[in-house]
Amino acid sequence: MIDHAHASHSEIPVLQASSLWLPRQHSWQRMPMVGLVLAVVGLGASLAGGLASPAAHSQLWHSWLVGALFALSLGLGGLFFVLVQHSTQAGWSVVVRRIGENAMATLPFVALLFVPLLFGLGDLFHWSHADAVAADPLLQHKSPYLNVPFFLIRALVYFGVWSFLAFWFGRQSRVQDTTGDHNLTRRMRRMSAPALIAFAFTVTYFAIDWVMSLDPHWYSTIFGVYFFAGSVMAFFAFMTLIALGQEKLLPRVVNGEHLHDIAKLLFAFLVFWAYMAFSQYLLIWYANLPEETGFFAQRLVGSWRPVSVGLSLGHFIVPFFFLLPRTVKRHPKALAGVAIWLLAMHALDMYWLVMPSLHANGIALSWLDFTTLIGCSGVFLAAFGWSLRRQALVPLRDPRLPESITFENV
Amino acid sequence: MALLRPSLPPGERFGVLAEFSSPADLYHACEGVRDAGYTRWDAHTPFPIHGLDRAMGLKASRLPWVVLVMALGGALAGIGLQGWVSTTAYPLVISGKPFFSWPAFIPVTFELSVLGGALGAVFGMFAMNQLPTWYHPLFSKSSFERMSDDGFFLSIESWDPRFETDRTVELLRRLGAKEVELVAS
Amino acid sequence: MIGPTDFDVVFFGPGRAGGPAVGADRVHLHTPTMAMSAGMSGTHNESDAMGSRGSQTAGSSARLADPELLDPTNLNPDLDPDLDPVDHRAPLILGAPTFHAITEAVARPLERKPTRGWWICFLTSVAMVGLLGVSIGWLFWEGIGAWGLNNPVGWAFDITNFVFWVGIGHAGTLISAILFLFRQKWRTSINRSAEAMTLFAVMCALIFPGIHIGRPWVAYWMFPIPNQMGMWPQFRSPLMWDVFAVSIYGSVSALFWFVGLVPDLATIRDRSTGIRRTIFGLLALGWRGSMRHWQHYEKAYLILAGLATPLVLSVHSIVSMDFATSQLPGWHTTIFPPYFVAGAIFSGFAMVVTLMVITRKAFGMEQIITMKHFDYMAKIMLVTGMMVGYAYSLEFFIAWFSGNAYELFTFKNRAFGPYAWAYWTMVSCNVLSPQLFWFKKVRSSLVWLFVLSIFVNIGMWFERFVIIVTSLHRDFLPSSWFYFRPTFFDVSTLIGSFGLFFMMFCLFVRFLPIVATAEVKSILPQAAAHPPQAPQVVHDGQVGADGRVLAPGAAH
Repeated sequence: MIDHAHASHSEIPVLQASSLWLPRQHSWQRMPMVGLVLAVVGLGASLAGGLASPAAHSQLWHSWLVGALFALSLGLGGLFFVLVQHSTQAGWSVVVRRIGENAMATLPFVALLFVPLLFGLGDLFHWSHADAVAADPLLQHKSPYLNVPFFLIRALVYFGVWSFLAFWFGRQSRVQDTTGDHNLTRRMRRMSAPALIAFAFTVTYFAIDWVMSLDPHWYSTIFGVYFFAGSVMAFFAFMTLIALGQEKLLPRVVNGEHLHDIAKLLFAFLVFWAYMAFSQYLLIWYANLPEETGFFAQRLVGSWRPVSVGLSLGHFIVPFFFLLPRTVKRHPKALAGVAIWLLAMHALDMYWLVMPSLHANGIALSWLDFTTLIGCSGVFLAAFGWSLRRQALVPLRDPRLPESITFENV
Repeated sequence: MALLRPSLPPGERFGVLAEFSSPADLYHACEGVRDAGYTRWDAHTPFPIHGLDRAMGLKASRLPWVVLVMALGGALAGIGLQGWVSTTAYPLVISGKPFFSWPAFIPVTFELSVLGGALGAVFGMFAMNQLPTWYHPLFSKSSFERMSDDGFFLSIESWDPRFETDRTVELLRRLGAKEVELVAS
Repeated sequence: MIGPTDFDVVFFGPGRAGGPAVGADRVHLHTPTMAMSAGMSGTHNESDAMGSRGSQTAGSSARLADPELLDPTNLNPDLDPDLDPVDHRAPLILGAPTFHAITEAVARPLERKPTRGWWICFLTSVAMVGLLGVSIGWLFWEGIGAWGLNNPVGWAFDITNFVFWVGIGHAGTLISAILFLFRQKWRTSINRSAEAMTLFAVMCALIFPGIHIGRPWVAYWMFPIPNQMGMWPQFRSPLMWDVFAVSIYGSVSALFWFVGLVPDLATIRDRSTGIRRTIFGLLALGWRGSMRHWQHYEKAYLILAGLATPLVLSVHSIVSMDFATSQLPGWHTTIFPPYFVAGAIFSGFAMVVTLMVITRKAFGMEQIITMKHFDYMAKIMLVTGMMVGYAYSLEFFIAWFSGNAYELFTFKNRAFGPYAWAYWTMVSCNVLSPQLFWFKKVRSSLVWLFVLSIFVNIGMWFERFVIIVTSLHRDFLPSSWFYFRPTFFDVSTLIGSFGLFFMMFCLFVRFLPIVATAEVKSILPQAAAHPPQAPQVVHDGQVGADGRVLAPGAAH
């Protein structure tokens, strides 16, 4: 990869662009295929099993929503990462930015996962029943916002905005691989600020629509930020895994310094998630208003209580102390372990958000929970692998590529 | 006050002080002195030079452990104080909440752990550096005043097992020292 | 050459070795590369400090009248590196100064007699502090009836001022800690004064909880001190959390600030004589720039930054909980902690810009605090202003969405009730006016920056006023409704607190190095001992017929 023959007459090491692609024989070449198989098997089995009996419909759509949210949040985290790198004109992250670009490229495909859910709106959302609204003055009050047509229009806007941003930023970056035009970097920087504003509002209202309104009486202003924090944390966990693979693949390009930084960001968003989660809990617990406490009361009864406690331990306290030392942030095996653990915790977080509205009295695991999660993750992996194969692993002609390769932590 | 007195070589000789022209020169000189096997020596710079600790062969600072212990101590003190006050010393019923209301105790516990950690970081650092040390032989050199401005110095102390005045001076000269001075205790 | 034995003579002095008395204890070793040092005779030469890069940079700084000094008048605005770091990263400090020039630029203002401008600022703020003293004295004599407080508005200017000042402090910690963790090296030019601002803002803030019940002699009840009454603080109260949060914030900020100051205090010590040298020598703790010290020092600084970051988030979160843990409509909402933090950083940056525009001009720091710094700060204000706007809009939406009649009434009343004037002042200052920062022209104009930063300060003060007073003045029972009007003493206390802030800042710029000299030196290009070498990417013929780069094929 580094041509040492050149070093004799020029001290500048040389890096061949063709070596910065996913090698043909690399196992990740099979990622789209594996993802597709998982998707077909997982989602096919879920649909077959879930639609077989009317009693399982509700379970199917709730499980499906958990899986779809999990897959979507990784793509959203990737989009956020890319936008922030452009808006802050970051140098260190260029060699790992493609991970975010590949993750956000999954957004249009993951959006398709939400299409079948339209058949489950009645099972998921109490407010979508006209008779329920007629009997509930509070739902009547909310009906200008919580009604099916407007809900669908909004969903179209969210997925449209995300897919467009993912497509546009991905395309600029790919074009730069060919042309090396620095103006593309400037154009992406200019677009990134308005894009972040659009991102903030769409993610917030998406979380309100698809998660918070599962319990249409409940409300919390911090909810969008909570969903955002968990999503970005999950993306950084996923990014850690991919970056560890790329470190092996391109040892002179991606190195421990980059992994250290990704691990710090993972740690930061782990803490940020805990900050959001605790702020929400403390304020609702303290004021003790009946219209707000329902959300937590439901999650602290029966077998949901150990899940809530486990989430705060497994999603925050244990990984916090584990990731605290610098040595862990530079240790590949430890990082891989904590990243997989946190991805699992994020899936549990999504489960914890959605499922109590179906199983109010306690946790009730169904095999559909696993098949939908596997199937939705399969869709994500297939799209990610497809994007990974079709472009170089790093932005080849990004003006800050040399800066990123030689970057060192303080 | 052992803390206030620097660990200095016994006797009348402190060692030698060499000045270098630039961070890069000092960096290479430090590598040379390290490779020559010296142990009781130091570099003096107006600002921390990136990578110089590696060039000198210094081990990583153990300060984080002090901070961790102090921060955990602060957290324990915080939760202990609040728990004791609220359940034993002065129990009060407040808006129907339990006496030991852990969510309400998190903020102060957190603040006290930060305080503990910060005190550990600052005073641990001062202790490890044996500061304050208001007297040091190097301060007797007027050229050393530029240490805090734009001078890049390297000092080798006379109790280093490899210290031999002429050889040490020769080494420093070979490593590109601009000036070499002798320093008395 | 002086032989080895001569060294010993010189070393141990005439009395011991019995050799000839040699006056000088300095031995010049004329190595070929250092031949030029002989001609320097103790002064600081440009190429000396530049080291190996000297030959490259000497030309660019030749336009300076005196290479030892920064010369802002000589800066051609056309030569300013553009703010666009795509093609290359422009240097953060302009004019390629030497290390010594940085020392001079920072230390000289402290060694001169104060200017007339300084005296005017200082004496004006001292007069305002006098007003503060009189106002507080009258408050203690008369009781809190001296203010316009009534039932139900039991908190008004006092707590507004408290939250405002705590918020101002947050930008200092953001710059010193959070930007440090994000490796934003431009922070080195402004972090010292921003941290000082933090300390003074916390001082101003601490006045208000201390006096707002009019009985400062029982303030010690807030601390967990064993006492004859057997009484202990009530730790389930967010006001108690505040006592810990703000006092610990002040203490940790002071520690952080002092640790950063130590190397610079040594710089002042080494330049001065007499009583000044003694004072700065004591404060510098005997700092001798030792690399073994720097190693622990840098670790301590990193850890302090890591601790100060969650600390600063927690402080304003806890301040927000003074309101949000209650059941009062307009106060109780879960977005409050992050929303207050964003607002605090927003207002703090506005204050940093206000102060820096003046300080930079007064001290001729144009090369160190460049337009790039203002550009970045304006962008941070834009971002945090948008976050605040996000929270305003979300609060409104959820107030409606909740279906809670009290909640919705409060927000309608804010926008269209008797305090609508305060609400719209807040919205236009905090959300609308920063939108001008989208334009590069505005971000690169000191006049615009100064005016807009004042607007943001006003807007953020009003934000706290709106939150506190509009939520309180409409109680649940209409018979308890009342309108709050500030009295003379409300306003004079607020003005007086500004006096304290500016007086402290005047003293700071007069007696302490206002720029973190050691940190600025470390970001100059010549400070790198071994710059890393970037590999060159060779695009080895993998472009297809349509101009697209192809995946590696048969070639490799």
